[in-house]
Formats: sequence, C-alpha cells, structure tokens
Amino acid sequence: MDIAFRSPKPAAVEVRDLHVRLGGNPVLRGVNLRIEAGRMVALIGPNGSGKTTLLRCLLGLQKPDSGSVRLLQEGPPDPALLRRMGYVPQRLQLDPSFMLTVREFLAIRRPLTAGWFWRPSRQIDALLHEAVGEMDVTRLLDRPVAGLSGGQLQRVLICSSLLNEPELLLLDEPTAGVDTPGEADFYELIAEVHRRRGLTVVLVSHDLSMVYRHASRVYALNGVICCEGAPEEVMNAESLRQAYGIHFTPYQHHHSHSHGSHGH
Amino acid sequence: MDIEPFMLRAVLTALFLGPLCGFIGVFVTARRMSFFSDTVAHAALAGVALGFWLGLPDPTIPMILFSLIIAGLILWLKERTALLNDTIMALLLSGSVALGMVILSLLKGYRGELDRYLFGDILSVGWGDAALALVVLITVGSVLFWKLNALALLTAHSDLAHVSGISVRWLNYGFVALLTVTVALSIRLLGIILVTSLVVIPPAAARNLARSLRQQILLSLLLGLVGAGGGVVLSYPLNLPSGPCITLTLVGLFVVSLIGGRLQRAHQNAS
Ligand SMILES: Nc1ncnc2c1ncn2[C@@H]1O[C@H](COP(=O)(O)OP(=O)(O)OP(=O)(O)O)[C@@H](O)[C@H]1O
Ligand SMILES: [Mg+2]
Repeated sequence: MDIAFRSPKPAAVEVRDLHVRLGGNPVLRGVNLRIEAGRMVALIGPNGSGKTTLLRCLLGLQKPDSGSVRLLQEGPPDPALLRRMGYVPQRLQLDPSFMLTVREFLAIRRPLTAGWFWRPSRQIDALLHEAVGEMDVTRLLDRPVAGLSGGQLQRVLICSSLLNEPELLLLDEPTAGVDTPGEADFYELIAEVHRRRGLTVVLVSHDLSMVYRHASRVYALNGVICCEGAPEEVMNAESLRQAYGIHFTPYQHHHSHSHGSHGH
Repeated sequence: MDIEPFMLRAVLTALFLGPLCGFIGVFVTARRMSFFSDTVAHAALAGVALGFWLGLPDPTIPMILFSLIIAGLILWLKERTALLNDTIMALLLSGSVALGMVILSLLKGYRGELDRYLFGDILSVGWGDAALALVVLITVGSVLFWKLNALALLTAHSDLAHVSGISVRWLNYGFVALLTVTVALSIRLLGIILVTSLVVIPPAAARNLARSLRQQILLSLLLGLVGAGGGVVLSYPLNLPSGPCITLTLVGLFVVSLIGGRLQRAHQNAS
C-alpha cells in the first residue's frame, strides 16, 4: 500500500503512529496524518484533545514518546527545517516593561535585518517592505508590541512568520481574543496569503464556520485522528459526534450546500 | 585637584559596571527576573563567608562562584521539581544568607566586615576588582550585543525563539551566568541588599522615556552609568556607604524620567 502512489502530491506533513503522554495521561494515542503540500487545512477537536500537543510535536517543541514526524519531505523538525516553517502562536508573553516595537520585532526575526540596532529605521523598513505591506501593518511599525490589540498582534505575528518565506505555516487558534468581525477578516487574510504564496497552511481552530469556508481538508482530532476529509464530509453530525464525543449540532450555515444529514 | 587612588578605582569600577547592569537589566526586568537577581546577590554572602573561612584575602572569586552555584541550583530545581520559581528562590535566598551568617559568626572578628558587603564600600574596591570589572564589561557586553536578537525573541516568546532555530535552553543558561557574574561583581559597590537596584531601576526609568527597544537599551546604559558613577562620587564627600548613594541617585533619576515621560506624552498629545 503505497500512499505516494495513491496521492501524487507530495506531503508537507507526514505523521505516523504518534504517541505522546503528558503528566501520565496519554494525550496523543497513535496519530496518523498526511497533509498535502499547498493545501490549507484545519485541525479541529474539543478542548484537551491534543491539538496544541500535535502542533508542538510538529515544531519540535514536544518530543513524542514514539512514532515519527516528517516535514517537507525531509524528516523530523530540526533547525534547518524550522527555518522553512512559520509559526503563529496564540499570544506573546511580552511584558509591557519591554519596549520592543513592531519594527524591531520583525527585524530580529530576519537575517537580512539582523543589524537593526545600528541601522536607521528607513533602511529596515525598506528591507521589511513586502510582508509588511501584505499584512497591512505599516501603520503599526512604531508601536510597542506589548501595547497592540489582539487583532493587531495577530497580524503582526503572521507578518513576522512570513518574513522568511516559509513553505509551511502552522497557526494555533490564531483568533483567540479577536472579535467576530475581526475573525472573519483574519481568516480572509490567511486564505489570501495561502492563495498568493501557495504555501501549506495548518490551522487549529474552534470556529467551524470559518473552517468550513476556508479549509480544503479537515482533520478531527481526539487523541487520534478520528475522521478526516473535505469539510462537508467531516462536518456532519455523526463524525463530529465521534470527534467531540457528545452530541453536537453543527453550525447552521446560510449558504446552499447540500451535505450530511442533520436536523434542527 | 588630586584624585585619591581608591576613589579612582571605585569610580572606574562604577563606570564599567553601571552601563553593563543597565543593559542586562532591560532583559532582567522584561523576563521578570528581578527576584532571581536578588537571590544570586544574597547567595554571595555565603560565598564571602566561605572565602574568609578558607582564609582567602579577597572573597571576590568565592563570591562569584557561590552565586553561580546557587543560580545553577535554581535552574536545576526548576527543571526537576514541580516547585514554583518564587518558592525555589526564596528557599535558596534565605538558606544562603543563613549559611553565610552562621559561618561569619563562627569565625569571630569578621562581623565587622558584614556592613561593607551588605551596603557596599568603595574602600574595598581594589585594582584587581576594577580590572575584572573592565574584563566583564567587555566580554558580557559583547555577548549581549552579539545575542541581542535571540535574547529579544526569547523575551517575547520562548517557543517562537525555539522555532527560529535558537537553542533556548543554552541561551537561558548563558544569560543567567552572565547576569550572575555581573551582579556578584557589582556587590563591591552597592552591597548585597541594594545591588539589584542597579539592574532594575535603569531599565525601568528608561522605559518611561523610550519609544523603542533600541532607545530603552541606550538610555538604560546611560542611566546606569550616571547613577553608578554619580552615586560613588557623592558617597565620598558625604561620608556615606556607596550602595545607598547609588540607589538614591537611581531613584532620583527614575523620578525625573517619570516626570519627563509625562511631559513628553502631554507634549505629543498637544501637538
Ligand atoms: N505539561 C502538561 N502536563 C500534563 N498534561 C498536559 C500538559 N500539557 C497539556 N496537558 C494535557 O494534555 C491534553 C491535551 O492538551 P492540548 O493543549 O494539546 O489540547 P488542545 O486540543 O490544544 O486543547 P484546547 O482546545 O483547549 O487548546 C489536555 O488534557 C491537557 O490537560
Ligand atoms: Mg490548544
């Protein structure tokens, strides 16, 4: 059974039989996952189902007890591979006593602008130009990072993760703390980055309607990947019940797809 | 005007260590490590006592070594136990002060030495200390500049730092070691009880005025320089211990920065 034979597109992420125990609890119990390069996919699942843990394994922040992770066709996460990836954490742990500006935060992450301390801001801005314009954070460059609102911070974080032109972008609940209209804009922004740059995007999200709209494939996690497929396949009552373990009424969407049986 | 040689040594040492403490302090305050700095400073008391006990004429080296041991112990306990950071540090702080006091009491005749280590004494600064301060300024200062981006990113988000290919663990160990050596060495000037003020007040004052990390670092360097140098210069004619003089100078600078920051913002809002 050759997976590569069945799906001609290369995998950006390949996880085999991943087991992780945390504090004695089995959190990941044999996760198998294959994400095709160039897709925008969503990882859903109830609280505590191991989404963050799985992402941390992909980033090399968490060592698995067994199983394997293969990224970008190469191997487990190492510094060289991580340089080809972007990561958007949920929030920063930044203390307001640290006067790091957005410009500086972006500059410290890019080898090209490593000497920011000794250079005038104009030069730095010229080097940051592209991603800054794409994410529309030009107006924020002089602001301290610790003073940004949730939505502004998210844009800055994505911008910084795009600076080194990643092939794989991982986002962990990127809209926690963003208001609902802001949330829609935000997903639109990510989808646009995805379209324009053609990179692989893995998105952890609780917002099923956004997932439905933007993801081309959905993975439902609950210790294992309990179902995966196109959004309309996965997001029917039965498979969500499997993932979430309780009866779950999927969101009502107002557009006119026909999909799995669920009644109200 | 003649400068007494002991005064020259003390002023030079202050001018070397003040900016260094100000620089490293920017990261200490943002990483909420002021209490850590306080703990390794207090650990130095046990180092001083051990130095006397071993009959060493100059306790600088045992002071630095013992502080480093305690710093290592803090990290080790943090990784190996479920104890909270604060708890670990309070334990080691009080433990090493108690150990130092017991040894000093047993030795007899050294109790008089206590004050100069608790509050700083410029008379105790030798040429060796001044030279060591210069060496530490150059090495620690250049490492900080060399690792500036990594440190700033670590301060912002340790997972992001890891993902950017930074070895978070070793960077953290390295930072702790540099901080500990800097603090232990500054005890000669400020004393154990007040040394953290030179690490904490300059970056806090700089924050009131700065609009970027670069400005905060440069201002903090400058404030450390002025505070430490000014305090030492004031302590001699006033016949006061140097530690309180430096700290009060820094507090004065902080108040000025607070007012300056307010004015700056009022001016901005007006225009
Ligand atoms: N350091 C830890 N020690 C012990 N247990 C942990 C640790 N970190 C996470 N866990 C447990 O592992 C499980 C999975 O956590 P994880 O953060 O991966 O879930 P999640 O799917 O991201 O949840 P959420 O939707 O709330 O973000 C949870 O039950 C959590 O309590
Ligand atoms: Mg999570």
